[in-house]
Amino acid sequence: MTRQKKQAIYGAVYILPSFLLMLAFTFIPICMTIYFSFTKYNLSQPPQWIGLQNYSKLITNSYLHQSLINTVQYVAVTVPIQTLLALIIAAFLSGRLRNRLGGALRSMMFIPVVASMIASAAVWNVIYETNGGVLNQILEFLGIPGYNWLGRKSSALNCVAVVAIWKNVGYFLVIFYAGIMNISVDINEAACVDGATPVQRFFYITLPILKPITYMVVTLGIIWSFQVFDLVYKMTAGGPGRATYTVAYLIYSYAFQDKRIGYGAALAVCLLIVILIIHAVQNLFFREKDA
Amino acid sequence: MKNKITPAFVIGVILCSLFAVLCILPLIYMVLMSFTQATTLKIHLEDVNLFDFYNYWFALTKRGFAEGFKNSVIVVVGSCLLVDVVSAMAAYGFEKKPLPGKEKLFQVYLATMMVPGQVVLISMFVLVNRVGLSNTFWALILPMVGAFGIFLMRQFMQAVPNELIEAAEIDGSGEVRTFLTIVLPLVQPALITLTVFTFTSAWNNFLWPLIILTRSNMFTLILTMSTLSGRNDTNYGLVMAGATLTFLFPFILYIFLQKQFVEGIALGGVKG
Repeated sequence: MTRQKKQAIYGAVYILPSFLLMLAFTFIPICMTIYFSFTKYNLSQPPQWIGLQNYSKLITNSYLHQSLINTVQYVAVTVPIQTLLALIIAAFLSGRLRNRLGGALRSMMFIPVVASMIASAAVWNVIYETNGGVLNQILEFLGIPGYNWLGRKSSALNCVAVVAIWKNVGYFLVIFYAGIMNISVDINEAACVDGATPVQRFFYITLPILKPITYMVVTLGIIWSFQVFDLVYKMTAGGPGRATYTVAYLIYSYAFQDKRIGYGAALAVCLLIVILIIHAVQNLFFREKDA
Repeated sequence: MKNKITPAFVIGVILCSLFAVLCILPLIYMVLMSFTQATTLKIHLEDVNLFDFYNYWFALTKRGFAEGFKNSVIVVVGSCLLVDVVSAMAAYGFEKKPLPGKEKLFQVYLATMMVPGQVVLISMFVLVNRVGLSNTFWALILPMVGAFGIFLMRQFMQAVPNELIEAAEIDGSGEVRTFLTIVLPLVQPALITLTVFTFTSAWNNFLWPLIILTRSNMFTLILTMSTLSGRNDTNYGLVMAGATLTFLFPFILYIFLQKQFVEGIALGGVKG
């Protein structure tokens, strides 16, 4: 056996465990879910092929319409705010605060990232609580009447979004900060010599160089927000009414609560298609701007 | 660069500090509340008794937190070991071995990172039930291996010089020995980073355990926590003690391994 061949076999052996696990817990389940989406399946009886019926039912499902609107609204609130906050804070901290204070501030902002969604939701539930919650206490102190934050259709979804932003800014801050630290000092010094103000440097140097990172942060943010589940489950359980039903929550309630595997699978496949489209559009948009 | 203290700079520092405080305030509130026996939410500082561990004791002994804790530790340790070993091996194979078609396979691995969790979970639920693995630790540990870990390890594996591996081979070191004694020590920082990530995601994992675990003696800590606080549960002190217990371990890990957390995010960028 040649050395090359032997090495190739070793390679296969190294990759094999990961391949088997990915096969069992990722590749096969994805294919099965696509198959289930064309069937009627409730676990007790074998799947029954019904073609596109699940999908045609989904089109007229008013819960889905509401969840889609909610999910898009949720993405539209969380993604711009968390991206901008992370970017601005990273730019500021990396500019003049590369010291102990800046480090301490970054560490503090990262702490919510390590907290679980469930613990975060429990804490924020208490903060939002109508009777005597911290938020309403502050309002009361200022002479403003309290508000039923999670119990009103107009505010519930945004209240959940605030928690997500609170948890995500620290994460994206780290990514932006690392990106800015990679920008060579020479460029900024040259700009300084030419008399550029910090704001000018931010817009004409930092921002263009950070474009690929911003692209990644936005994509990641959209994908995470599209799949919001834990917070909704723990904070509002979809309510009040259907005000915080999101697509991920709807999949959970169809597939796992009602055991309508086929219908839930069809919805999950739709979510997959939406996310693939987002990727494709962003790729296109990104490449065009680069060219 | 001159560093003049301008008003804009001062305002910036103040705003950033305010935001940083806002980030940790809910968690401080959580810890303070956990030391009260109050059934109302108004914090009276005189109610806070930092030596009164009654809520913690109650959660641990009466509400299944001790068992949840044990289960979580088993799942986390198992996940970290499995993910580290499998990811390191795969990354080495992908980066250093001449296997035909490996780059295509790697692209397929990476593509799975775009697939939303629910797409996989539905059928994983069916499969795991079918093979009788529901309510076992295997069901929680085995799916933790994913493209992210392999991607992260491969990034580090690139820095291992080929000459070193070849030299070891010429000196008569066997394949396994080269991997264990030369390659692994060189990527040790990456292994720590990966462990930190696996730890937090296994510890904080919620949806999959919620679906697959039906017996409460198998519940992980997060799941136990979620059964604790129905929205009508008015024992806020107890709920906050539970939340603090789930937060404690990842927080301690973060305090000690802050650099690895930050490095992993900055390098990998993509998680989950």
